[in-house]
Amino acid sequence: MEVMMLLVYDQPGVMQRVMGEFNRKRINVETIVVGKCEVPDRARIVLSIADKDKALSVIEHIRALHEVIEADLVDQTRHEAYALIFGKEGVCRVTGTVDEVDSIVKKSQPDRYIQAMNAI
Amino acid sequence: MKGARAAVELLEKQNVQVMFGIPGGVLLPFYDELLQSDIRHILVRHEQCAGHMADGFARVSKRPGVCIATSGPGATNLVTGVATAFMDSSPMVAITGQVETDKLGNDAFQEADSFSLMMPVTKHNFRVTDPKVFPETIKKAFMIATTGRFGPVHIDIPVDIFRAEITDEQMQKAVRVPKPKRNLADLLDAIKLLEKAERPTIMVGGGVAWSQAGQDIARLAEMLMAPIVTTLMAKGSVSENHPLVLGVCGMHGRQVANYALNNCDVLLAIGTRFSDRVTGKLSEFGTRTKVIHVDIDSSEIGKNVKGRVGLVGDAWTVVNALIAGLQKRTKAPTWKAKIIELNKQCTCDYDLRSDPLKPQKVIHELSKNLPDDAIVTTEVGQNQMWAAHFFKCYGKRMFITSGGLGTMGFGFPAAMGAKIARPESVVADIAGDGSLQMVSHEFATAVENDIPIMVCLMNNGWLGMVKQWQKLFYGSRYIATRFTGGTPDFVKLAEAYGAEAVRVERHSEVAEAIKRGAKADVPFLIDFVIDPEEDVLPMTPPGMTSADCIKGRCQWKGEVC
Repeated sequence: MEVMMLLVYDQPGVMQRVMGEFNRKRINVETIVVGKCEVPDRARIVLSIADKDKALSVIEHIRALHEVIEADLVDQTRHEAYALIFGKEGVCRVTGTVDEVDSIVKKSQPDRYIQAMNAI
Repeated sequence: MKGARAAVELLEKQNVQVMFGIPGGVLLPFYDELLQSDIRHILVRHEQCAGHMADGFARVSKRPGVCIATSGPGATNLVTGVATAFMDSSPMVAITGQVETDKLGNDAFQEADSFSLMMPVTKHNFRVTDPKVFPETIKKAFMIATTGRFGPVHIDIPVDIFRAEITDEQMQKAVRVPKPKRNLADLLDAIKLLEKAERPTIMVGGGVAWSQAGQDIARLAEMLMAPIVTTLMAKGSVSENHPLVLGVCGMHGRQVANYALNNCDVLLAIGTRFSDRVTGKLSEFGTRTKVIHVDIDSSEIGKNVKGRVGLVGDAWTVVNALIAGLQKRTKAPTWKAKIIELNKQCTCDYDLRSDPLKPQKVIHELSKNLPDDAIVTTEVGQNQMWAAHFFKCYGKRMFITSGGLGTMGFGFPAAMGAKIARPESVVADIAGDGSLQMVSHEFATAVENDIPIMVCLMNNGWLGMVKQWQKLFYGSRYIATRFTGGTPDFVKLAEAYGAEAVRVERHSEVAEAIKRGAKADVPFLIDFVIDPEEDVLPMTPPGMTSADCIKGRCQWKGEVC
């Protein structure tokens, strides 16, 4: 899993333009986090892609976008997961690495649960 | 000052002298201010052609062309023109009107999300929703269109921005021009490769035409004793009467050009993006070759042809850096001598005296009879490939074509834009009957605005290139390629618009008609009735290698390309 970090202008249309490049190159984005950051009027996009070659093939195109200030592949961070388990004692919130959350979900054998994977 | 006034003044400050477009409801405040400006406005009959005219204008003047269309259908019609410019890296500023900011997103009359529509076909685009940044945005648009790799920039302007108040302070706000991106770290590697090369070849692409580095590349070729092959987009950027210039390579290219491209040991590719029409089967391309790829756009390097020496910079700068760094080549000039000999033998055996008229005869006579500063534009299809193969571009001649997007109907409006940019030159559009019927209404624009261009119509009554593919690859099962009766009499059609026209059916009348057309002071159409059985050959079938080339009457005696 490759993690890409982008610093972009915080304005409407930026996500569409960035995602347009991934769409054009038929690259699936595994996970994405966007938000305001330490620089005023700028936002950070942190996203991950499964394949390294694909990540390398798209990054120059991302850098060429005028609303993107910088784009880099960053060192592998741990992948978090998040789950809500609906059990007899009520709703239980679980966070941790993907493996941890997986094992807790498996162990508690809940009636119903939802899980989001690969958060960065 | 009102936004509309500000827009006109900003365009004037950018030295815009002509713009192409059609007004509409949301553009009325802007057009009202345009009345008091010296900017020449060319009223087209379809927004697509406004885009192509601005494109043609830009390719000749090397300055951004400006086109304008209204919201909704105006913007959607303009998309083709903008996309054509995008694929050929032509600088353009496209302006569209938009419904009021507070109605955006509510399906107002003539509302389309033109910001999103234009996004994938522009270098960058803006939707102005705040009048405070409006002047800055227009300046940015011109800056982006003409820095780095050129390209179209689109600005979507809601009508209330035209009515808003703009202060002098906002008008004065300057935009920062970024430094050109360069990466010549591998220059020494490139020089070493070139010095050691036994059989170097230079391949030039559209970037060289924009950078106007043709003469420098000819000098570099002489130093390296390397032949030059051009892509379709680069045709005319290096003078084709230079003995080392082999002409257009690729699918319908000259055999000697493809031979030099595929049999070199070091390929210096400048300003080209290795389109599939040039490379054929990509996995077979350049497997025996070391490639040095020069491009202004760093994202092009390694996009199609991987793992090579890459130099990022504009063609002129890099070529001059290479010239400065290269020692005089001491290797024996055997490769150069061989190529020059092969080039002499690479002639197609086509019949100049037959009736029905052969298209090659028309191009041959055009090449012979047009002046040395003539501009030729083409439509897309067989006419384009015959022109690319048989027309000789030298001196100040220019060759303008839709190479990337392949837009039928491009040549006619582009010729008009070119004529406006260089009124002293003869401008000829080499057209096909399929393409011309997509834009024939623009005769009205040409007549109305006194744009005396020549249209050389190669009329074979078919969508010729598609027909050729059906013939070669689909067992001659023709469908939807023949015009069976609805085709107009093009002479009468042109005359109906007030243009002059003549029909030519015999080979003996060709030269005279061309001479007459070149001298005409009104738009002039020559309807060449050509042999419908004639194909564009040689041809390398799509996705194949030059070894699979269909040669036709090509007399190539050299080795497998």
